[in-house]
Amino acid sequence: MPPILRLIVQRISLALVVLIGVSMLIFAIARVIPGDPARIALGPNATVEQVEILRETLHLNDPIYVQYGYFVRDISQGDLGVSLYTNRPVTIDIAQFLPATLELVIVAGIMMICIGLPLGMISARYKGQFIDNLLRVVSLLGVSAPSFVWAVILMLLFAYFLPIFPVAGRIEDIYVIKAVTGFLLIDTLIDGNIDAFFNASWHIFLPAFALALSGIGQAARLTRANMIETYNKPYIEMMRAYGVSQFRIASRYAFKPSLIPSLTIIGLDFAAMLGNAFLVEAVFAWPGLSRYGVAVILRKDLNAIVGTVLVISLTFVLVNIIVDLLIAFLNPRIRYSQRPK
Amino acid sequence: MSDSILDIQNLSLSFQGLTETVDVLDNINLSINRGERVALVGASGSGKSVIARIILGLLQSQKGAIVKGSVRFRGIELEAATGNQIESLRGREISMIFQDPTSSMNPVYKIGTIFHEILNRGTHNISKKLALIKASKLLEEVSITEFKRVLESYPFQLSGGMNQRVMIALALANKPALLIADEPGTALDVTVQAQTLKLMHNLVKKNNTAVLFISHNLGVVRQFADRVYVIYKGRIVESGSTSSIFENTKHPYTKALMNAVPKITSKSFFDASDDSSLFKQPAFHHKDREIGQ
Amino acid sequence: MKLKIKILLANPLSVMGLLLISLVFGSAIFADFITPFPLHKGAVVDFSNFNQAPNLTNIMGTDLVGRDLFTRIIYAFRISIMLGVVVLIISVPIGVFMGLLAGYSGGKLDFVLMRITDVFLSIPPLVLAMAVMGLLEPTLLNGMLAVTAMWWPWYTRLIYNLTRSEKEEGYVVAAEVVGASRWHVMFREILPNCTHAIITKMTLDFGFVILIVSSLSFLGLGVQAPTPDLGSMVAEGARYLPDSWWLTVFPGLAILIIVFGFNLVGDALRDMMDTDS
Repeated sequence: MPPILRLIVQRISLALVVLIGVSMLIFAIARVIPGDPARIALGPNATVEQVEILRETLHLNDPIYVQYGYFVRDISQGDLGVSLYTNRPVTIDIAQFLPATLELVIVAGIMMICIGLPLGMISARYKGQFIDNLLRVVSLLGVSAPSFVWAVILMLLFAYFLPIFPVAGRIEDIYVIKAVTGFLLIDTLIDGNIDAFFNASWHIFLPAFALALSGIGQAARLTRANMIETYNKPYIEMMRAYGVSQFRIASRYAFKPSLIPSLTIIGLDFAAMLGNAFLVEAVFAWPGLSRYGVAVILRKDLNAIVGTVLVISLTFVLVNIIVDLLIAFLNPRIRYSQRPK
Repeated sequence: MSDSILDIQNLSLSFQGLTETVDVLDNINLSINRGERVALVGASGSGKSVIARIILGLLQSQKGAIVKGSVRFRGIELEAATGNQIESLRGREISMIFQDPTSSMNPVYKIGTIFHEILNRGTHNISKKLALIKASKLLEEVSITEFKRVLESYPFQLSGGMNQRVMIALALANKPALLIADEPGTALDVTVQAQTLKLMHNLVKKNNTAVLFISHNLGVVRQFADRVYVIYKGRIVESGSTSSIFENTKHPYTKALMNAVPKITSKSFFDASDDSSLFKQPAFHHKDREIGQ
Repeated sequence: MKLKIKILLANPLSVMGLLLISLVFGSAIFADFITPFPLHKGAVVDFSNFNQAPNLTNIMGTDLVGRDLFTRIIYAFRISIMLGVVVLIISVPIGVFMGLLAGYSGGKLDFVLMRITDVFLSIPPLVLAMAVMGLLEPTLLNGMLAVTAMWWPWYTRLIYNLTRSEKEEGYVVAAEVVGASRWHVMFREILPNCTHAIITKMTLDFGFVILIVSSLSFLGLGVQAPTPDLGSMVAEGARYLPDSWWLTVFPGLAILIIVFGFNLVGDALRDMMDTDS
């Protein structure tokens, strides 16, 4: 088996182990809550017989490992149960709200990489100089406030005081876009409606930036630290001794080795964004998973909570696999030794 | 001295720390003629490696480094204090071989890519294809016959000895006038080191490249160098032709070095405190510049 | 040590961090004396004076029931600091112990413990805390529990990696050769060499715990009224943007100040550690 294929198989099987663990953890959390799920579902007015019947259909009278077996069987068939909050299958609810959240997170992720990495490179290149100190403070400020604080501040500044961006929503109501992927930025393009595309981009900019800010700061700090470490490596001194230009070293020969350790953390930041999206969505009234998630949590809607957490974890595990493979692609040492470091 | 390639005069280096200033080099004078192989010998920490880095202008940007004195290359003043003038010569007129060849080559790029980058210093905008053809020839010169595989490999996939050959080929790729070899191959085992040194020796002779050979190993120096400078605690303590240094050793430190060749860790090794009369003994310059003049 | 303090004080950013932290701690400790309306920390109403913009009496304005915002922010510092301390005191020992055990034992135990850690790390921190919080009652105690549940795996991973590399060091091998027990090696040999890293991470994390807790209460899953809490203050005020801007801006900046202070000091500690080697 070629090394790269073996690596893919290895990562995916490891991810499966983790996903099984996640399902067990969520199942465990769901089962330790005080109170009878059947009673909660039916409300205080249901008779004992009704509760007992529901307990039987929900397999609540079986031993715990049998219950877990049913749980796994159901989710592997894509059945996450029915939400008590919306009275619809949880999968349908999630399918409706997830794309908006993912779109926000992906745009924020792109911002994090496109802004954070160059800032870190500049900082490292001018280490100890004024511009470095300035960028360090800015990126530290970025990571020092939760994204809802940035969301509120950005909204106040650029939507109210300087009304450049819209206050809320994904797109203006005048546009009717056929949902194909659920990602408005893509659907508008499929529709060929350029106006709508710009309108959607204009709506997503501020929330995505608020969400990205801490990631930008994190990426810049990390890239700076890794670049500085790389600059002390003999192979960079070798490049300098052979007269390769500073710019070429910074953008190529020091950048690539420094990017590899940064990527793992960028993957983790992506996970944090999946959670922080809840906060930003709340501020900008973004019609994503947040409102649904908070609502079902406050209502102790068990199926919906379990489903939401599972789907978010699945997304995160997928992102991690992609990051791992990207690292392997960038780092020949992993590619050729097949052994993760 | 029209024939001199490199001429270092009154070079000193100190580091400004937070609390005190540390002197590293004190009034170094050193010159190398066209095609001449000169060795700079001393124990680790004596300051020999920093001289190489000053010549290349790699040290001057370091925080707290204070460089004074003059470094001339082919009679042109290189403004040693800033190192700015040196940049354009690097990789073209002056190149360097490092102590550990494997860690001195970027681990995430193929050897072929590194060759392309370095050859681009000599021939601007050289195509990748042409660079690889040139690189193959260069690798053949260092007795690498399977150059195709080597160019397609990453440094960590090759043996230390192989990397050392690659490093030599890289260093000589743009036909530099001066090659600085900083303890070449110290990280390799002795037989491989001897082979690669011999290879380097033949190539620089053929190309008439001047070499500044930095080493702590007198045995190697004796075989390789025309002239020797002995450095101790940042000062040149003895200089002269290889034969006169070896046959007519004057300075006690050099004598100690000679005696210590096989057993450099022995207890009685030369140690003079900075204010002892031994240390203050004047440098001895052998008046026998018969080679290269 | 003197030299290190000198290096620390030579950097204006570290000094600023120390000042910010002392300011936050100082005002939290002496809240009863420095705040103009100490009673406003609780369920007090003063409708004659509600929703006032910042002025000379109420320098940060008043909230929707007329309480002084400045007073409430200072008291909120207390809760935040307490949460930070409790969460770290519980989660760090657990995480460190698991990391030492997995890293030093190796083999099956290593695999099982680290996969458990992976499981926790595969759920976005805030989502995990939300799930725990949501299934329990949203009280202060459960908030701490939720944040603790998501915090220890980070220490496990940190100490695991450190242990794996320290294990090969001469001093550990030497201790093993003379027959030291595994507990001795783990706690007396390896752990002392990890304290630097742990302290630095704890300093940085103190800020981040406060950040996460405020996020939970922003979503209504944390500290409940009338206890003053920065996150819920922002959430409440966000509904009255942009007119009553002070309701969100000042509590938001207060969070920024605490976390920023701890980050600055954490950075300085890390730089100091780097100069060690």
